[in-house]
Amino acid sequence: MAYTFQPTLVANPKRSRILEYMSCNPKRIHSHQVNQYNSKSATDHFSSRIKSCLSIAGSWRFGKYGGRYVPETVISCLNKLEDEFNLAMADSNFQAELRTALRDYVGRETPLYLAQGLTDYYKNGNGEGPEIYLKREDLNYSGSYKINNVVAQALLAKRIGSKSVVTATGTGQHGVATAAICAKLSLECTVHMGTLDMEMQFSNILQMKLLGAQVKSVEGNFKDAISEAFRDWAGKMETSYYLCGTGVSPHPIPIMVREFQSVIGKETRRQSMEKWGGKPDVLIACVGSGSNAMGLFHEFLGDEEVRLIGVEAGGLGLDTGKHSATLARGEMGVYHGTMSYLLQDDEGQITAPYSIAISLQYPGVSPELSFLKDSGRAQFYSVTDKEALEAFEGLCRLEGIIPSLETSHALAFLGKICPTLSNGTKVVVNCSECGDKDLAKVFDIHHGLTK
Amino acid sequence: MSISTNLSFKTPNFSISKPHNPSFNPCKLQQLQQFPPCSSPIRANSISCTLARDLGVKMEEKETQSSVFLRPDSFGRFGKFGGKYVPETLMHALTELESAFHLLARDEKFQKELAGILKDYVGRESPLYFAERLTEHYKNSNREGPHIYFKREDLNHTGAHKINNAVAQALLAKRLGKKRIIAETGAGQHGVATATVCARFGLECIIYMGAQDMERQSLNVFRMRLLGAEVRPVHSGTATLKDATSEAIRDWVTNVESTHYILGSVAGPHPYPMMVREFHAVIGKETRKQAMEKWGGKPDVLVACVGGGSNAMGLFHEFVDDKDVRLIGVEAAGFGIDSGKHAATLTKGEVGVLHGAMSYLLQDGDGQIIEPHSISAGLDYPGVGPEHSFLKDIGRAEYYSITDEEALEGPVDPTPSLARRRAFKRVSRLEGIIPALETSHAIAYLEKLCPTLPNGTKVVLNFSGRGDKDVQTAIKYLEV
Repeated sequence: MAYTFQPTLVANPKRSRILEYMSCNPKRIHSHQVNQYNSKSATDHFSSRIKSCLSIAGSWRFGKYGGRYVPETVISCLNKLEDEFNLAMADSNFQAELRTALRDYVGRETPLYLAQGLTDYYKNGNGEGPEIYLKREDLNYSGSYKINNVVAQALLAKRIGSKSVVTATGTGQHGVATAAICAKLSLECTVHMGTLDMEMQFSNILQMKLLGAQVKSVEGNFKDAISEAFRDWAGKMETSYYLCGTGVSPHPIPIMVREFQSVIGKETRRQSMEKWGGKPDVLIACVGSGSNAMGLFHEFLGDEEVRLIGVEAGGLGLDTGKHSATLARGEMGVYHGTMSYLLQDDEGQITAPYSIAISLQYPGVSPELSFLKDSGRAQFYSVTDKEALEAFEGLCRLEGIIPSLETSHALAFLGKICPTLSNGTKVVVNCSECGDKDLAKVFDIHHGLTK
Repeated sequence: MSISTNLSFKTPNFSISKPHNPSFNPCKLQQLQQFPPCSSPIRANSISCTLARDLGVKMEEKETQSSVFLRPDSFGRFGKFGGKYVPETLMHALTELESAFHLLARDEKFQKELAGILKDYVGRESPLYFAERLTEHYKNSNREGPHIYFKREDLNHTGAHKINNAVAQALLAKRLGKKRIIAETGAGQHGVATATVCARFGLECIIYMGAQDMERQSLNVFRMRLLGAEVRPVHSGTATLKDATSEAIRDWVTNVESTHYILGSVAGPHPYPMMVREFHAVIGKETRKQAMEKWGGKPDVLVACVGGGSNAMGLFHEFVDDKDVRLIGVEAAGFGIDSGKHAATLTKGEVGVLHGAMSYLLQDGDGQIIEPHSISAGLDYPGVGPEHSFLKDIGRAEYYSITDEEALEGPVDPTPSLARRRAFKRVSRLEGIIPALETSHAIAYLEKLCPTLPNGTKVVLNFSGRGDKDVQTAIKYLEV
């Protein structure tokens, strides 16, 4: 089946040549227009399903997902970005600079922490159960895994000669991280943020401004902010760098984001060998767009005995329509330049996602995760807002760690999976973010100020 | 008039009718035991104190007081500072604590467990980060200047250095078989650190907090409760930190068998100043190792903010015997040290007893505690750790002060010198790291220090806490 997208002109006459992203409804496809942008098209295939998911730069797809669904004007930029990325990855000086930044600025490596309180909590009546470890990405500077990718991309931007950076943020964590590294590297920084998200993230907005970033409000939420950021960047591509925080983007960005986040999985492998002389048995991560999950999973894709579990936002319940469980309830389509699962209605319009966790409130998902779902290499489930809140409070009380509401989704799944695991199974949960940013929201919920 | 003009004391064997109130008038000790008045009319040098030797404590025989760096001596004193000015009912607990501390210092299993927790739970070791743009900023017209490094305690779990001590004390309490932990808190930082470790170790946690502070810090109160702590409001007095401290001590006196009091700073009666220092000393130890790795030598200058003094002692302690390393503490000058609204204890204080220890403190002519002021809650304390008082008096460490304005940002003013005083915002914009307001005091001092240092001097500043907690306060004063 071929796919096309239906471009619309942006109203702003200055941008009349720029085309807006639209989701793609495979039910209506007849023509074959879009593949002019994809020279390596659906005929690409790999010798095995596992090999295909070890996608390397230069290969644009993960099975049938991924690709580059973008206006012509952007293609040369993406080509250049891919070349620069490949050069940087092969440059030992760049790698050394990145390692130093991750160590001294971000505070890596992050611990692999045995959560004894959680482990004991999930033991059965015989005192048996899995051992639960948390990969402490919450301890990174800025309180989130997001900075791993941000620091690397900012260094790349500087290397390319960009003077400014444009990005979009949901909760503000990515925005703060971007503003921070831009300050350090003397790059101008513009952060686009949805008005709906800005209402609850006052502190993050202040931090971005304090760090010297310009914060631009966009009507709507995260997905709208991304669209606007891309539009903003498209007008000044020569001097500006679009710093994407998600894997839902045209090639080569999904691969770049995954590679820069894969430090999480690499450290986990080494640390698990040090701690128990083996690999993890189960990896669990929350899934919004999917970058923290890919960061943990990627290292272990070739280790088929390691179970990979992604947990999406079930919101008020999958049957209510108020959720963000893209892999559970989405269909294939093109969004933000890439082919992947997507929450869309029968007419190909984006379905508004919902979750108590802002960063999970996103209709798309990483194309690589879409592939891993279809191939059966990873399993995806969802938990509701209520379950996530309970898990949030549980970790506070049991371990003295305040997780983000996003991370709480991964933690909530422990309640469902632990009874099924044999004694001593090694489970690693990506503790992707610190929950300080969510305290005000949880406070309001507790005091009946918000539902 | 301070106590030291008239009295010398024999401590701690006096008994008092009420539990120790740390805000008591030091002069009121006159009614307890009188000794021949000192002939000297003034203060610190005329005090002589003796501390009863506690039989339960096995300690090595220390050198006499002629040895300058006994820190502390067998009586828990740093020179004439320190000691144990507490009710009799607390003596056993303090003795027990001291014995346990010394035993566990030699206990490999305890040390290994503590090291594991510091690594996997707290996230140590914290980096020694080269602040390249700040270094560049302080270069003179000849492109010369010191190299500035931050010891990144802001990256610890909970965002500050406080957890180093909280974790170790909680572990110690568990070893002592205590099931109950109490602490006091002002703005909530120490309360949050205490509640955090209590959750981690499954200990009951009670935090005393002034009712006024609770209203101002409702989110921190909520945070402590989420972590499982009981936060008890204190309505007496001004319903702020010093009243919360009194209440916590009262609780401890009443429940001393089952309860450990996690003191958050290097103040308080012996053995707390020594213990808290030792638990924070990991900061200095790591710094020595990292400095050797990075430039093959030691730091030349260490700079840290000083409220109670724990982060500073944590950095300084490792280097106190290295005479070639300069130690600089920076206090809060609030609205200015002549305004009367500050917390510059070592600059403007006099010697007295507060919270169980002899040290410098901010007191008026009647020996009443002067309410301190600083824009930063963590420096807003009328006392200081006794070891800092000692290091100041012997000249081993230097202490300066920085106003709120200098720490934060001066008013928008065309005068270049004023425009440069923007520590909180400066570090955010140059290094992309938002410092705590406490830390900003140390950073602001670089403005005065750096022009005096030779090219290439290695300066290590203790980046004691992260500033996201302070952004809403700071934004009222800053233009962003």
